[in-house]
Amino acid sequence: MAKNLPQLTIVNRLNVLRAERRLTQEQLAKDIGVTRATIVAIEGGGYNPSLELAFRVARYFDTDINTIFSVQEEKQ
Amino acid sequence: MNKVDSALVKVFMYGLPMVVIFTAFSYSYNTGIIDHATGAAKFFNNLAGLVYASWMALSIILSIRLMVSGTFRDQVLSRFTFIRERDEREVMLTGKATRTTFLTTLAILMFLFCLSCFQVSIYRVPTEQAVDGKIGFVTLGLTCNLMQVSKQVGAHADEPRRQDIFTYSGLPVSSTAIILGLIIWQIFSYNFTMRRLTKDI
Repeated sequence: MAKNLPQLTIVNRLNVLRAERRLTQEQLAKDIGVTRATIVAIEGGGYNPSLELAFRVARYFDTDINTIFSVQEEKQ
Repeated sequence: MNKVDSALVKVFMYGLPMVVIFTAFSYSYNTGIIDHATGAAKFFNNLAGLVYASWMALSIILSIRLMVSGTFRDQVLSRFTFIRERDEREVMLTGKATRTTFLTTLAILMFLFCLSCFQVSIYRVPTEQAVDGKIGFVTLGLTCNLMQVSKQVGAHADEPRRQDIFTYSGLPVSSTAIILGLIIWQIFSYNFTMRRLTKDI
């Protein structure tokens, strides 16, 4: 792994969007084809989804990726 | 999985309890617990032999199929080792757990290799055979036998009579025990790591 590169922290608004649509984690997981544990992990910041899944989530909420996922801070 | 492969797995799995029953019967027959005079007992003993031979042949074919066919191996062994990849996160976790399992297994193999190479012997000789007044000896050796060779009886016959205190020469367990231990370790290690990772991520 390359050294001295800033570590990017990716945050997401998945739980906000989900709450707005009154969706349960189980429903969202089923609709986008993943397990509930994956939704829990994404919302908790423990797992960053692949580009494909990120696009799928964005398409599901009828928005673009930047609305859901963003880089919060850069750590050295 | 094609029909032949599917049948192979089913016959192997469902045949296993039958083989155990027939082996128990055969053992009872050969040790005389079951009366040899009855025709049915003799018939069942012969049948046990046939079933056992067939199952052994099937096991060999199944093992070879598992080695050569990637798809078949994936389908069968994933089920045996409880590998679940329902989405991309589980695929990633499987990769991490497999990496941990691979590296720990490699470390265990290296450790076993070292143990199999080392020879240690601590012994005492009678006072009349003392060397420079010393009667206690420690002998260290290194061996690398790639082939199984039987130990020669009486190889140390011309050596001075010695009283062994501790002797270690290679692994004390059989190769079957090591192989079985490694199979169990691989399944345990993978599942343990996967469970730990699932909690963390």
